[in-house]
Amino acid sequence: MNHPSPPAWALRFFRWYCHQAYLEDIEGDLMERYFHQAEEKGQSFANRQFIREVLLMFRPGLIRPAEGSIKLNNYGMFKNYLKTGFRSIRKQKIFSVINISGLSVGIACCLLILLYVSNELSYDTYHAKYDNIYRVLHAYRNYAEFEASPTPEPEDFQVWGGAVAGPTFVNEFPAVEQFCRFTSPTELLFEVGDKRIQENGMIFADSSVFDIFSWKMISGNPETALKEPNSIVLTYNTARKYFGDEDPVGKSITIDQQVEFMVTGVMENVPANSHFYFPGLISMSTFYTWRPNIFEMWDYVDFYTYFTVNDPSAIAGIRERLPEIREKYLPDFKSFGLEVEPLSDAYLHSVAGRQPGDTGNYGNIYLFSFIAVFILAVAAINYMNLSTSRSMERAREIGVRKSIGANRMSLVTQFMLETSLITLISGVLALALTVLALPLMNRFSGKELELSGLLTPVNLIWFIGGLILLSVLAGAYPSFLLSTYRPARVLKGKAEKLGGISFRKGLVIFQFTLSIGLIAGTAIVYSQLDYMRNHSLGFSKEYKMVLDFGWDNGVQKSMNYVKQALADIPGVNGVSSTRAVPGDFLPNAGTMVESPEGEMIMRNPGIYEVDTEFIPEYDVELLAGRNFSDEFVSDTTEALILNRAAAEWFGYTNPEDIIGKRYEQWGNSGVVIGVTENFNYRSLHSEVEPLSIRFAPWFSYTKITLTLDGNNLPGTIDELEIKWAELVPNRPFLYTFLDESFNTHYEKDVRFSRIFTAFAIISIFIACLGLLGLTMYNIQLRRKEIGIRKVMGASVPGIIAQLSKGYVVLFIIACLLAVPLAWYGMDQWLKGFAYRMTPGPIIFIAAALITLVIALATICIQSVKAALANPVDALRDE
Amino acid sequence: MNQCQIILYTFEYKINQMSKHHLGEFEEIVMLTVAILADEAYGVTIIDEMESRLDRKVSMGSLQTVLRRLEKKGYLSSEFGEPTNMRGGKRKRYFRLTTFGKQVLTEVRDQRMQLWKAVPGFSISDNL
Repeated sequence: MNHPSPPAWALRFFRWYCHQAYLEDIEGDLMERYFHQAEEKGQSFANRQFIREVLLMFRPGLIRPAEGSIKLNNYGMFKNYLKTGFRSIRKQKIFSVINISGLSVGIACCLLILLYVSNELSYDTYHAKYDNIYRVLHAYRNYAEFEASPTPEPEDFQVWGGAVAGPTFVNEFPAVEQFCRFTSPTELLFEVGDKRIQENGMIFADSSVFDIFSWKMISGNPETALKEPNSIVLTYNTARKYFGDEDPVGKSITIDQQVEFMVTGVMENVPANSHFYFPGLISMSTFYTWRPNIFEMWDYVDFYTYFTVNDPSAIAGIRERLPEIREKYLPDFKSFGLEVEPLSDAYLHSVAGRQPGDTGNYGNIYLFSFIAVFILAVAAINYMNLSTSRSMERAREIGVRKSIGANRMSLVTQFMLETSLITLISGVLALALTVLALPLMNRFSGKELELSGLLTPVNLIWFIGGLILLSVLAGAYPSFLLSTYRPARVLKGKAEKLGGISFRKGLVIFQFTLSIGLIAGTAIVYSQLDYMRNHSLGFSKEYKMVLDFGWDNGVQKSMNYVKQALADIPGVNGVSSTRAVPGDFLPNAGTMVESPEGEMIMRNPGIYEVDTEFIPEYDVELLAGRNFSDEFVSDTTEALILNRAAAEWFGYTNPEDIIGKRYEQWGNSGVVIGVTENFNYRSLHSEVEPLSIRFAPWFSYTKITLTLDGNNLPGTIDELEIKWAELVPNRPFLYTFLDESFNTHYEKDVRFSRIFTAFAIISIFIACLGLLGLTMYNIQLRRKEIGIRKVMGASVPGIIAQLSKGYVVLFIIACLLAVPLAWYGMDQWLKGFAYRMTPGPIIFIAAALITLVIALATICIQSVKAALANPVDALRDE
Repeated sequence: MNQCQIILYTFEYKINQMSKHHLGEFEEIVMLTVAILADEAYGVTIIDEMESRLDRKVSMGSLQTVLRRLEKKGYLSSEFGEPTNMRGGKRKRYFRLTTFGKQVLTEVRDQRMQLWKAVPGFSISDNL
């Protein structure tokens, strides 16, 4: 017979408020009356009566007191939970070690990534006017590009622009308060006393720099420091290098052995989280006295212009009026474009070219954050897997607890508490791990991350909150599963049906997928790096020693003599002098060349200024025409060589056809005499861009490239140094090897690959730990089965196969998931390279096989042990 | 003063004290019902008895509050019985009058009788 029952909520409400001492008999009375009424007058009447009674019973005499003995009770229970928690951790040492090590490594990874990400996001934020600082972007496009699309793409802009933009903005827009221009870095020879050092990164800056940017002045007056010509502000480190501990303000530095500069201030070192860096600033008025005319020009491109607005909302109005400004000041240069960009976009979001410093990559931030979360997820999954599969061991305890009155929630609380205990231990370990791994992380990332940045009270609360969240995520599933066990069954020794097998399989698939994906990713990153290093650049970079003499007038004037003297040294096979070598920074030049139709077209290719030796010495292939030659006197002013990209740009698909066409460039005019094959003079991140090569006038040289034969490199270098000191006593012997300096372009990629690999290895390691634990447990469960199988004649390999079979199916599913995901993800990454390898099936097959081997190895260690064990041991204890 | 006298005094004192406390009409009825039911007095039977004898609707809330109050005052005592299935496995709480409770009840009745007797031209036996 189906008993009627009163509304559950009313009963629950009654139980909640009623005084403990009265609860039993009053509830009994209520029930008795209820059943009685239900029988006589129907259930709905009884229900109504029941509710009425319960509500009327809610009165002071019967309500339980607000605070009671319950709290004390809970405290005791919690103590008990903690004790059993510790016992279970101690009792299951291997599982606890797997769980705790996995979780702590996962948490440590998260912390490290968090440090990295928060550092990336902190760029430039230390400026007080961070939200009000903007910079001007310029698009120098040619007319054809303008015709094709009137508005330039974000990629068409560059940060570099003309000096006149700053004053124009202040005059035209009332909202613009101040501007500050920086030049690109210049190389200057500093002399203080007997110290003579070449400074490579000095930049010129307007005197408003300390108003706009919050760099602190250690000594000197920030208002006036950069007003006068020939004044210089050094950063702290640079100042120490020359002046030691004394205050350099008021002292002088001889620059390029000609001009005396006055040190007017010392500022703090540019913080590492700045989007560009310099060792010192020279007053812009110095530059002005040298070349006053260019300060009126839009097309003399050498300035980074930053400005402040009184209100960031005014930017929309400024943007709107930019075409009007272009029209007003440059009516004939329709293809020119202006744009503004906030400082907050400069490091992570800017796609403009010609950045003043390194830029970050927003995608990497996402990628690394995902990896960190995944690693933690793998560790949490281990926890879930191991604790649910071990649940049988706890079944008896659960049964006992339930039969002496534990309800479901208190069991859930117990298991949650146990999870929290494990995460807490892991959290503390993770902090220690983070401290230990930080130097490694700094080496990998090239940053100087410090833990102190994270140790704020707010972050501590976040950390603890994160641990709690992790405990809930990892502990929720096992807790709820375990607490459903029915005490009568488990205590009778009947196995409760193990729930969640498909759930656990899903988790293992997830781990496999992640591992395969990460291994494939690592392989792709490495082969791309390898591809770039070995890709033919179109010139030879082996054994090229580059001497940098920084525009020294003496060397420039006696260039032929110096070159001859260096070439005479045994071991030196070739000498050429240039303004820039491949991989260097180089300017662009407005160049007009006669088109096939006979009209002069204006283009803006890059420019290399070289001597006659450059092309043969660098093995650059000449497609048509001839190299510069000393035999043609007019070559220095009336001849131009283009690369193939430039020839195509001017409309010539066949390089032969452009030979003999007229050109005008930087005040020279003459004919194109040759076309070279494209050689990759920047890096393989970008396509080879159009380039013009001209015979440099004597004052344009700044570098000498020596080709060494490599037989006795140290000896040759020593001899060169002695010779250099003899020839150019006033210049330090500064040399680099071209292949090394060229590879610095890939430094970021190398760092990326290192971080990626490190995290891939860690996550695979944690996944293996989980697999190990799971296999160990399964084997333990099947000990008797294995024993019986052996007795019946099963072979050792047969048993191993039997034990591994289940995983192989999961593995195949994981493969099917991982390959498309990894392929898609890495394809996105490879899009950042103009020259990229195509990931073939080999990489994915290899990644899958590696994962399979690691996984099977993990499983086999345990299975072999189980298979080899004497069946008697397993079967004896019946 | 011997021991017997001391007990007598405290007893009298207690009665005096209690008789100062007004025994409410409902309290009196509940106590009487408990007395009527003798060994069968628990929540449900008390209500049923009151309903059938007095035709009076009583909510369990008001009854239980009074029962607990009377118990606290010492007029009633209670003990658990055996659990039965009809009550969802919960035990009954049987109430019974204490000696003290009986005394209070008698005293109240006597007071009433005195008052009745004092009413002029009104004979109790007439109405019975």
